[in-house]
Amino acid sequence: MDPQLTSQIVPSEETARIEECMARLVEDTGGNYALLLDKSGQVIAAQGDGNRQDITALGALIAGTFASSREVAKLLREKDFRMLFQQGVRENIFIALIEEQWILTIIFNKGTHIGLVKVLAKKATDELAVVLDRVRQAHKQRDEVLGSSFRTSMEDTIDLLFRD
Amino acid sequence: MALINVASREIHCKIVYYGPGMGGKTSNLQYIHKQVPKEARGDLLSIATETERTLFFDFLPLDLGKVRNFQTRFHLYTVPGQVLYERTRTAVLNGADGVVFVADSQRSKLEENVDSLRELARKLKEQNRRIGDFPIVLQYNKRDLPENQINSIPDLDRYLNSPNWPRYEAVAPIGVGVIDTLKAISKLVISKL
Repeated sequence: MDPQLTSQIVPSEETARIEECMARLVEDTGGNYALLLDKSGQVIAAQGDGNRQDITALGALIAGTFASSREVAKLLREKDFRMLFQQGVRENIFIALIEEQWILTIIFNKGTHIGLVKVLAKKATDELAVVLDRVRQAHKQRDEVLGSSFRTSMEDTIDLLFRD
Repeated sequence: MALINVASREIHCKIVYYGPGMGGKTSNLQYIHKQVPKEARGDLLSIATETERTLFFDFLPLDLGKVRNFQTRFHLYTVPGQVLYERTRTAVLNGADGVVFVADSQRSKLEENVDSLRELARKLKEQNRRIGDFPIVLQYNKRDLPENQINSIPDLDRYLNSPNWPRYEAVAPIGVGVIDTLKAISKLVISKL
């Protein structure tokens, strides 16, 4: 992918495939929640129990944890850590990297075995890597998606909202 | 890298406040959090040490509402400024769409400003971003200190702003220049989407 490409546009049809894959992952693992994040911490898709109000902060923190672990890996002369596991009293979090760009997160409780999560997450990351590849290939022109007057409207909104 | 989700009609952009330690990055976010209407902002999340120095980052999500049918969100981050946390800064800078460089105007901090700006340039290069067309806004903070303690604006420009980035004078804790800086970087980021 062009590193200078400033936006990643995820088309509707690809979002549908992503959500389908993640819903299957939640169902098959018996997990509580699955999140797909961009490496910058933006939430691309979420599936599972609908009561989580905190997914924006969760996304920022998980992406931060992952980016931080990548720096640890470099110090150990590893390329990166592909997977992270955080164990809590009630819930656990399993995090897997997809092609250096996306981060798949599964939140599950004691009823689910970590081994099962690992195996099914591997299957899901393979599927999502194919989707990511298509998203990278098929980036549309910004104006095609946003419309040419988007920038002007956006500037007006910024002036209206950000005031002393 | 901004994310445009066509199905949910959402746009997310990441803005990082960068600069030397104790320069006022967290103060910027605290003022923005206080000033932006409640419905447009989320909680300010800070991962700090016991002495309130930033350890990992501060995070403030801003929701600009629907613009041309797209829900638009800016996520503001600060990096920890202390030299010790260089690797952490790399982690936070990952995927940024724009940077506000908060410089400390104090004469005694000039070298730290220059070093921090050089480090930023190096990190952007490592992330394959061209600093020439990457959205950057400078903020010269602490302009309320006595004149004999701070560098003049032309001096700061000479040492920090050879690329001629937009720059604002600020007193972050009381909000002088904070919103102007935010507006400037937001518009620059949108122009590069």
